[in-house]
Amino acid sequence: MHDGHRTMNTDNDCTATLLSDADVIAAMREIPGYLDISPADFREVFQVAYVHALKRVRDSIRAADIMTRPAHCVGSDLDLIQAATLLAERGFSGAPVTDAAGRVVGVVSEKDFLAGMGVDRPIGFMDIIAHCLNHRGCMAVSLRNRKVSDIMTAPPLTAGVEATLGEISALFVDRHINRLPIVDAEGRPLGIVTRTNLVQSYCFTGQGVQS
Amino acid sequence: MNYFEKMRGSGPSPPGVGAGEVFWSWLGSFLGISAVALLHAGLFEPRDLSLLIGSFGASAVLLYGAVRSPLAQPRNLMGGHVLSALIGVTAHQLLGSTPWLAAAVAVSLAIAIMHLTRTLHPPGGATALIAVIGGDSVHQLGYLYVLVPAALGALVMLVIALLVNNIPKTRKYPEFWF
Repeated sequence: MHDGHRTMNTDNDCTATLLSDADVIAAMREIPGYLDISPADFREVFQVAYVHALKRVRDSIRAADIMTRPAHCVGSDLDLIQAATLLAERGFSGAPVTDAAGRVVGVVSEKDFLAGMGVDRPIGFMDIIAHCLNHRGCMAVSLRNRKVSDIMTAPPLTAGVEATLGEISALFVDRHINRLPIVDAEGRPLGIVTRTNLVQSYCFTGQGVQS
Repeated sequence: MNYFEKMRGSGPSPPGVGAGEVFWSWLGSFLGISAVALLHAGLFEPRDLSLLIGSFGASAVLLYGAVRSPLAQPRNLMGGHVLSALIGVTAHQLLGSTPWLAAAVAVSLAIAIMHLTRTLHPPGGATALIAVIGGDSVHQLGYLYVLVPAALGALVMLVIALLVNNIPKTRKYPEFWF
């Protein structure tokens, strides 16, 4: 794995810790009748079946089921001060960027603002506080008179409403993104899948999806 | 896991069953074998036929003692006995002059065929073997051995299993028919 901070286990590691021999034996005790299977065999069946179940769920839940809609977008021509104000008001850390025709042409996020301020290493809020206190001025001044299109990440990663939970999760992990605009065939925004949506989707069981 | 490590076994053994389970296993097998043995003594023995063969003791373990087991389901019970009997009789008729070979072929082929037909039923191995080593009374039956005792005896045991295994709340039989 290229990402050292990845905490999610692979399916097999995950399920191996889910079920112990003691759990299986306890279940076999509770279920009346002689079960013609060894605990180890049952665990093996369960583990393989669980991977199938995960795959089934990941393939059956689609972007349309979990996305937030509508997606709040910012125009590519918007002044950065206005854009920052808009995002701050809504409590967003980023948003899709649309052109005059309403198509998603990029994504703008805190990361892009920081990059626009000339910060090229990952920094946090405390770094900015420290900088402001030390330098009698704000780092963000350099963002004045610039437009969203100057700092946005483009072209954007997007997906259609049919994208599966598995595909979306893979994009988040592999491409290090925190939000994924969901677009129609013309590239117009239909919604957005955020990390929050992804986490919530793991509470979905079969019955949650149809609604 | 290497060859010798495998021999040590891994994983715990399954738990035992409760007293109720023991009782129903006992009752079912008592009634199942009783039915076959009574028919044997009353109807078949006087006509120089046999309904009671050793492999039904093994079938009783599965049918009444491991009700949920795939090995104990009707498809396996009937298919296993009938196919194995067929193979056993054939093995005796073709290879009977070399008893060790006939016995080995009968059992091994019965297992292979039961696997291939998804009818694996361990007592079938005994049914195939008895067709070879069962003596003149069995050999004289020829392919009748497939129907009586193999198929008919198994059928009687199946009927008793259906009647008894569905009485207690904690049991149901079969899991599947076919």
